Amino acid sequence: MSARFARRLDGMKASEIRELLKITQRPEVISFAGGLPAPELFPIEDLKVVMAEVLEREGPRALQYSTTEGHPGLREAIARRLNSRLGLAVEAAGILVTSGSQQGLDLTGKVFLDDDDEVLCESPTYLGAINAFRAYRPRFVEVPTDDDGMIPAELERAVAGCRSPKLLYVVPNFQNPSGRTWSLERRHAVLDAAARHGLVVIEDDPYGQLCYEGTTPPALASLAGAVPVVYLGTFSKIFCPGMRIGWLAAPREIYEKYAIVKQGADLHTSTLAQHEILAYLERFDLDASIARICEVYRSRRDAMLRALESEFPSWVSWTRPRGGLFLWATLPEGVSAREALVRALERDVAFVPGGSFFPNGGHENTLRLNFSNMPEARISEGIARLGAVLRELRAARGGGAGSAQA
Amino acid sequence: MEITIDRDSRAPIYQQIARQVRDLITTGKLPAGFRLPPERRLALALGVSRSTVLIAYQELRADALIHSHVGRGTMVTPPGAAPVHPEVEQDLPWRQLFGAAVSGFQDPLVGDLLRLTERAGAIPLSFGMPAPELLPFAELRDLITGVLDDTGPAALLHSPTEGLTVLRATLAQMMAARGVGCTTDEVLVLSGSQQGLDLAARIFLDPGDAVVVEQPSFIGALQTFRGARARLIGVPTDEHGMRTDVLESVLSRFRPKLIYTLPTFQNPSGAVLPLERRQHLLALSRRYQVPVLEDDPYSELRYEGDPVPALRALDPAGNVLYLSTFSKLLFPGMRLGFLVAPRPVVRQFALARQTADLHSNTLGQWVLDRFMQGGHMSGHMRAVRQAYRRRRDTMDGALRRAAVPGLGWQRPQGGFYFWCRLPEGVRPAALLARAAESGVSYLPGRACFADEPPAEFIRLNFSYPDEEQIREGIARLAGAILRETGHPDTAKVQAASTRPVV
Repeated sequence: MSARFARRLDGMKASEIRELLKITQRPEVISFAGGLPAPELFPIEDLKVVMAEVLEREGPRALQYSTTEGHPGLREAIARRLNSRLGLAVEAAGILVTSGSQQGLDLTGKVFLDDDDEVLCESPTYLGAINAFRAYRPRFVEVPTDDDGMIPAELERAVAGCRSPKLLYVVPNFQNPSGRTWSLERRHAVLDAAARHGLVVIEDDPYGQLCYEGTTPPALASLAGAVPVVYLGTFSKIFCPGMRIGWLAAPREIYEKYAIVKQGADLHTSTLAQHEILAYLERFDLDASIARICEVYRSRRDAMLRALESEFPSWVSWTRPRGGLFLWATLPEGVSAREALVRALERDVAFVPGGSFFPNGGHENTLRLNFSNMPEARISEGIARLGAVLRELRAARGGGAGSAQA
Repeated sequence: MEITIDRDSRAPIYQQIARQVRDLITTGKLPAGFRLPPERRLALALGVSRSTVLIAYQELRADALIHSHVGRGTMVTPPGAAPVHPEVEQDLPWRQLFGAAVSGFQDPLVGDLLRLTERAGAIPLSFGMPAPELLPFAELRDLITGVLDDTGPAALLHSPTEGLTVLRATLAQMMAARGVGCTTDEVLVLSGSQQGLDLAARIFLDPGDAVVVEQPSFIGALQTFRGARARLIGVPTDEHGMRTDVLESVLSRFRPKLIYTLPTFQNPSGAVLPLERRQHLLALSRRYQVPVLEDDPYSELRYEGDPVPALRALDPAGNVLYLSTFSKLLFPGMRLGFLVAPRPVVRQFALARQTADLHSNTLGQWVLDRFMQGGHMSGHMRAVRQAYRRRRDTMDGALRRAAVPGLGWQRPQGGFYFWCRLPEGVRPAALLARAAESGVSYLPGRACFADEPPAEFIRLNFSYPDEEQIREGIARLAGAILRETGHPDTAKVQAASTRPVV
């Protein structure tokens, strides 16, 4: 049978990492690998109320076909949130409800990408986007980033090396995997470059509302002017991931293409789930719930940062994210995070080696750590074990610096 | 070689010529080695320009159906001898922004029809939906409101891409009742069967690859395959479904990647593929090593006659990928369907799904599983079968009473649809406008064909409207057709002349 599969599947394999991480589902494993929100924070009791209400009020309509674009009331509610919280100026007619923001990424690939088209992205960038786009066989052009986000001069250099770049895919807030947030200045500079080079910007913003220090800078979509920006959002990180409800906001000409392509992909997103989220938004205060989530995640981030300070060797560096779910650590050149993972798993600690987040490979000395999903005591314990693993690994490689720090 | 040109048709003349010659070749009426008339002579005979015939021959040559030699003329190419043409020239205008795939999705017809539900007053005979008033709302409501008490946060968390394991096991049990033996890991949960089509296209089709479809076929599948920039190769059907006698020549000539079929109560034709043809189809699939994508949304909706086994049930070789959905049996807004396929295929679907949307709504999967495990399905199915049988009979009766001259149909044994051939001379676009004025909607048959249809059809749905609406809807529709054909009045036309579709 495999001979009959399409050639485009050649790039699509179950990753070795995913196989390794299957064991993280054992309860004794301290996992920094996932990107999951903490289930104990879900507003389950509120949701029970909402479900009963929706079925009472809507009756069978809550389970019927709905339009591809999504429930009109939910689109209104999303547009209102984007306009009031993020300073966008979108109408409900410009919102497409998606089956999670992963679908937004997949539809983006389908709408824009042909074989060998060029996609510019941060280096590193979100793994789910790499995989979604890769199915359409584009060429990824990585643009170096620093703690203030994508570096404009590097973007110019990358564009100059392109034939005819189409898309600029970015996660400007509390990025997955790096935890970095773009400065306002960088946002303007990158949008200017996008305008000059005729790029469509895909702004992926699952974490913008998970801010633990200061405020989240304005969305690119709110600063874009004439630059076409497709803004992707989701309820998965601030509500419940199993619902599979995300959305995108796009300029009209682009929006219509997305809607047509979504129709071919799954007709529409679960009607009941759309009704449930809408009813929740109407009856309860999502922002208050997000504030509670942020409290917990902030302490977990702080616990991880404290543990890193005390337990990690000094030759490891890491980012200090102001929000989101992840931080990003860099080991000395030549120290392999994959090897570290194999050893860490023996001690029931898991994380994701950073190499996967670079579409063109390399950077095997990096790793992503999730801090949202484990209670603080487990975080300290896990980081301590991981620190020991890193020291051993360096020592086994003959690096002398490690032992001096121990 | 008999070719007729329809100057009123929307199809360009060169396409009409190419299509007819293609059909003559694939049906074996023009044997290999048959010498086609020179371009100039055919042009003269048909009263068209020489360049029109030239383009038609070019198309046929590109499809490797004919070849030309200087001095010997143009001949029909023997099957199998054809050079493989993986990359087919597609005249796609390069556009700055969009991927070429987007141009395959030009016809958002299904979405437009969904939107029509919201228009007041019109009687909808256009949908493919179950009757809302017959669906087990109370049972589902209780399950939905109770599920979180049982599952806790689990029903709100991520779930496996392949689907909840309990639900997959339940579906495997259900398949056993459909005569298909399969294990839990040969089942993959989908967000409706449309997603199965989309994933199948991703997994099997590169641009230019050929896919065999029935003529007519399910509109959503045609759109999806076009979106994948596949070449649709239509195989003619008769009242017993796909003409498997034509299929062999198509397989040998086009080397397709996939055979897509709805063998039971087909959408739109309502036809059921008989057992012998099923076996023939499977034998050909094995001989030419082409997988079969069996789409089976309707087989549980049989109102008379004996069931015919699913292709998947007749296929020990594992060549059949079986797709089904709950959208026709339960609430379609739940968006739940499933695939049954050999493990390597399930694995590829899961990988593709991971990049597409991760997994189906978790809570919905729990609810469906409880619904089936609670034994609610069989009682529900008995009730809807009874109601739909009555609705079908009502539509049949209404069509007979309307007695529109030249309108042909067959009463389906199951499923959701009547497939009616329109009287000669009816202009499809004009009829659609008249029907809209009269307050009745239907699905125009053209949308269901991969290329130019052999005649004009319409698809009428009897599951969604109630019996009163069916009677009124058919009366309105008959009036619209009669006005369009120039007949004076519905009521005055007597003497039924229902010509069966052949």
